[in-house]
Amino acid sequence: MKKRNSKKLLAFGSWLFFLLLSSTALAQSYTLNGTITDKSNGETLFGASVFLKGTTIGVITNEYGFYSITAPEGNYTLTISYLGYSEISQEVALTTNQKLDFEISEFSTQLEEVVVTAEEPERAILKKPEMSTVKMNISTVKQMPVFLGEVDILKSLQMLPGVTNNGEGSGGFHVRGGAQDQNLVLLDEAIIYNTSHMFGFFSVFNADAIKDVKLYKGGIPARFGGRVSSVLDVRQKDGNNKKFALTGGLGIISSRLTAEAPLFKDKGSFLIAGRRSYADLILKAAGEKNSAAFYDLNLKTNYAINQNNKLFLSGYFGRDNFDIGGSFGASYGNSSGNLRWNHIFNDKLFSNLSAIVSKYDYKLDLSVAQFDWLSSINNYNLKYDLKYYFSDKFKLDFGASGIYYDFDPGQIRPTSETSAVNPLKLDRKKAFESGVYVSAEHKLTSKLTAQYGLRYSAFSRLGGQALTDYANNQPVVYNPTLGIYERGTAIGETDYEKGDAIETFGNFEPRLALAYELNEVSSIKAGFSRAAQYIHLLSNTSSATPLDVWTPSGKFIKPQLSNQYALGYFRNFTDKVYSLEAEIYYKTTDNRIDYIDGSDLIGQNTIETEILNGESRAYGLELLLRKNEGKLTGWIAYTLSKSEQRTPGGPAGGLGISNGEWYNTPYDRSHDISISGAYRLNDKFSFGANLVFQTGRPVTYPNGQYEYEGISVASYADRNSDRLPAYHRLDLSVNYKPNRKPNNRLKGEWVLGIYNAYNRKNAASISFGQNVETGANEATRTAIFGIVPSLTYNFKF
Amino acid sequence: MNRYIKFTALVFTILIASCEDVIDVPVQNAPTRLVVEASLDWEKGTTGNEQTIRLSNSSAFFDTTSNTAVTGASVKVTNDSSGAEFIFADQNNGEYATSSFVPIIGQSYTLEIIHNGEMYSAQETLMAVPEITDIFQDVEDGFDDEILEAHIVFTDPPEEGNYYFFKFQKQGELLPDFEVGDDEFVNGNEIDWWYEIEESDDETDVRQPFAAGDVLDIEMYGVSEAFYNYIDILTDQIGGVGLFEATPVSVKGNCINLTNPENYAHGYFRLTEVNRTSYTFE
Repeated sequence: MKKRNSKKLLAFGSWLFFLLLSSTALAQSYTLNGTITDKSNGETLFGASVFLKGTTIGVITNEYGFYSITAPEGNYTLTISYLGYSEISQEVALTTNQKLDFEISEFSTQLEEVVVTAEEPERAILKKPEMSTVKMNISTVKQMPVFLGEVDILKSLQMLPGVTNNGEGSGGFHVRGGAQDQNLVLLDEAIIYNTSHMFGFFSVFNADAIKDVKLYKGGIPARFGGRVSSVLDVRQKDGNNKKFALTGGLGIISSRLTAEAPLFKDKGSFLIAGRRSYADLILKAAGEKNSAAFYDLNLKTNYAINQNNKLFLSGYFGRDNFDIGGSFGASYGNSSGNLRWNHIFNDKLFSNLSAIVSKYDYKLDLSVAQFDWLSSINNYNLKYDLKYYFSDKFKLDFGASGIYYDFDPGQIRPTSETSAVNPLKLDRKKAFESGVYVSAEHKLTSKLTAQYGLRYSAFSRLGGQALTDYANNQPVVYNPTLGIYERGTAIGETDYEKGDAIETFGNFEPRLALAYELNEVSSIKAGFSRAAQYIHLLSNTSSATPLDVWTPSGKFIKPQLSNQYALGYFRNFTDKVYSLEAEIYYKTTDNRIDYIDGSDLIGQNTIETEILNGESRAYGLELLLRKNEGKLTGWIAYTLSKSEQRTPGGPAGGLGISNGEWYNTPYDRSHDISISGAYRLNDKFSFGANLVFQTGRPVTYPNGQYEYEGISVASYADRNSDRLPAYHRLDLSVNYKPNRKPNNRLKGEWVLGIYNAYNRKNAASISFGQNVETGANEATRTAIFGIVPSLTYNFKF
Repeated sequence: MNRYIKFTALVFTILIASCEDVIDVPVQNAPTRLVVEASLDWEKGTTGNEQTIRLSNSSAFFDTTSNTAVTGASVKVTNDSSGAEFIFADQNNGEYATSSFVPIIGQSYTLEIIHNGEMYSAQETLMAVPEITDIFQDVEDGFDDEILEAHIVFTDPPEEGNYYFFKFQKQGELLPDFEVGDDEFVNGNEIDWWYEIEESDDETDVRQPFAAGDVLDIEMYGVSEAFYNYIDILTDQIGGVGLFEATPVSVKGNCINLTNPENYAHGYFRLTEVNRTSYTFE
């Protein structure tokens, strides 16, 4: 199998080489390159289009605002356009290689006629093979109604097709029927392991510190790896390098403040943003014993050494704290740091080197029982990415990365001498993940463009620990007499030396995407991607909790491998005022972990005795109709989908979980409709609305009862064979910008928001039990949010 | 240990749950199964000769009217070493009783039931329980340090792998509370197990914390690992499963159907030694 793979790789390599050769046989060409930035604050702009008017030659700026265009000698008009910015054009005589940087300005909101225009990438893009992606500009996100005044990137993404959450009160998100841990979430390239504050009430991304957000639901470029479902690429602002600026907001629950300013004589800049909730202070002042709070801090600074070298340093630190009457405390959060070096080798070759650390940890302080409990995951990541703008027909991405992981699943420490709890340390786990990739964007004909690439990923679970051996090598055994899965019998231990690998995996991950332009307004696209995932989040609860633990692949847990196929139709109408995107997808994932009945993951040193390896599949249809221009903008998104899993007994014997039949994953949603609209009445007033309807989440209900030990015991039906009632909700918002003098630096805005306007009691869960007074069985619905109004004041100075 | 973590899940749920109400929900209805409540518990200080086994039928989840008692079955327990048989006589109300049972710690027994022409069987070993050395009350401990809790003190035996099942019943309340424990993190230690009823902000919750004069019935069983695994899941699922608790599963006991394996019985055949006592709060 491996031999065949390497043969394929070789063949692919030679083909690539041939392509390169064939592309060089061009007429005399010259290259333009440079950076596109915002005139007001010097922020580089990702996704701006740079085009030579009257030709098909053009490019979109990369994450660092860099572009490179190669064209035959001649005179051209170079046009640069970007959302909400004035388009600019410049005559260029292309007789030599040139470096041209541009600064473009935002439309002034003081202008009489303001047309809200969606950014190019938010419309249907016809030429690029890129599909199954969503790029959101922070300004779009900020138009949408928000919960408790906090602009939330994750909630906004959930308004788009193929993206859902697991109900209120659950963190994370699900993409195309995938699990929460199958999303690679990056904040300035650092891996974020938990995306939410307060169980998903808020996201960890402070919108004031964020520049842009891109979600890959499929067709994940070869430069990303490590997760099978999606990549959420979030980038922080660099900081204003023109002038000192303050941005902030005062809300009912939380407030935020961002400061940015130039540094090093305008050769650099910095940004520092803080956010804190203060419900805890109010609760404490009100004499409440319990409290909950979160805060986070974003940092970014950059320094341009010279035209071709730029350094970036970014950091994030976020924390949630809970305190229950002084007897119980919990605290958790992400922290990350990233040092980057952008180097432009020449007008066609751009590179970025990143050194990244990130960490997620939690601590429980059970003073009531006199012990605390700590757990963490740390990773150290080095990656080098290069982009070669070979010609207008051929661009090449290539690079390599390595990640060292250190998992500390948990330690218990008695916190007093009288504690009845013995200290315990679960085995630390270490692993190394590496990847190399090459990927090309290739314009094959004037109508057909291909993006093809290959990633090779490898993963080693490192030694330095002992692993339990099981009788017959079965950590889980089927008991045919009782018809249940039981923990295997430990028969000893094998010690693995430090420096030895316990288990090593390697996978080729081909990625392919094609775009065919049918005519000026429509195109069809197709894509295939294969991805491997080596680390897994263990969770057997209905909703993932902040206390779930990540675990690496190894002797007992195999890497998840997924294949995704997608086909799409894209069309613009009425001079790009409307656009339609339709996609179908089919996705399979091997080695999806499933949990045996009664699995116990808490303080569990031998996870392998609680799980079986299964598989999952998901398929669906996604429709997105957008209105991109005018006073009213917004979209209607509809998703029809299915997400299932199956877990045969495998080496453990037996038929498997739920008799080895396919059953719904908890994130299966048959129908998901989201409508989002923004209406700009005039300079002072604008309105926003969101309407969401979703099929209820699959859950397990009782299918009978029996008397045992003096109580009525519920017997439960097959896993996820019932559903919660449908989820629906309407949110509204009004933005009011008071009159202000044109030369007043302070710009303020009031935002009145109403979440769940018609006060729908959406069930987050329904639990079944006996009434303590009558003894009769009853079903109790837990709804988290009724109608939640909020008022926020945002300002810029 | 686990109960603290489970408590954490509960706390999270309480923190975010702003609204709870009872609603009508359609549920599936599984075919009826035999329910075996064969709990041969040997109370410390008694002979343990008198034992009762209850047989019933499962019913629809919201059913409150059906008579579920199973009569006409034949019920027998055998000592696996001596072959001694104990016949449980049909009391015609779903109960089957004997007054000649001989309990032996560490002894394995087999249960046999013939009902509707199908034969059910289960095997289990009688487990010992350490003595309760002290019971007292306090307010300092517990999840809430302002309300009364009862403390039960005992010493876990030095060898690993002891499992406990507690049943607490505040007199005057309808339903008992179950708790389970094992010695995973506390092996060989003196254990102070406390039980309290927390105050609730929820007005619909009628349970009140302990006050002077309240009487608490305490049962503490030494159980097998298999029963622990069974009752642990069952206990978790009693009263419903919240957002951050493990997804509910169908719990299978140890009573298998030899005639028709698909038609297994609910319930459990267990043999335990038990401490039964009461505590009156001052």
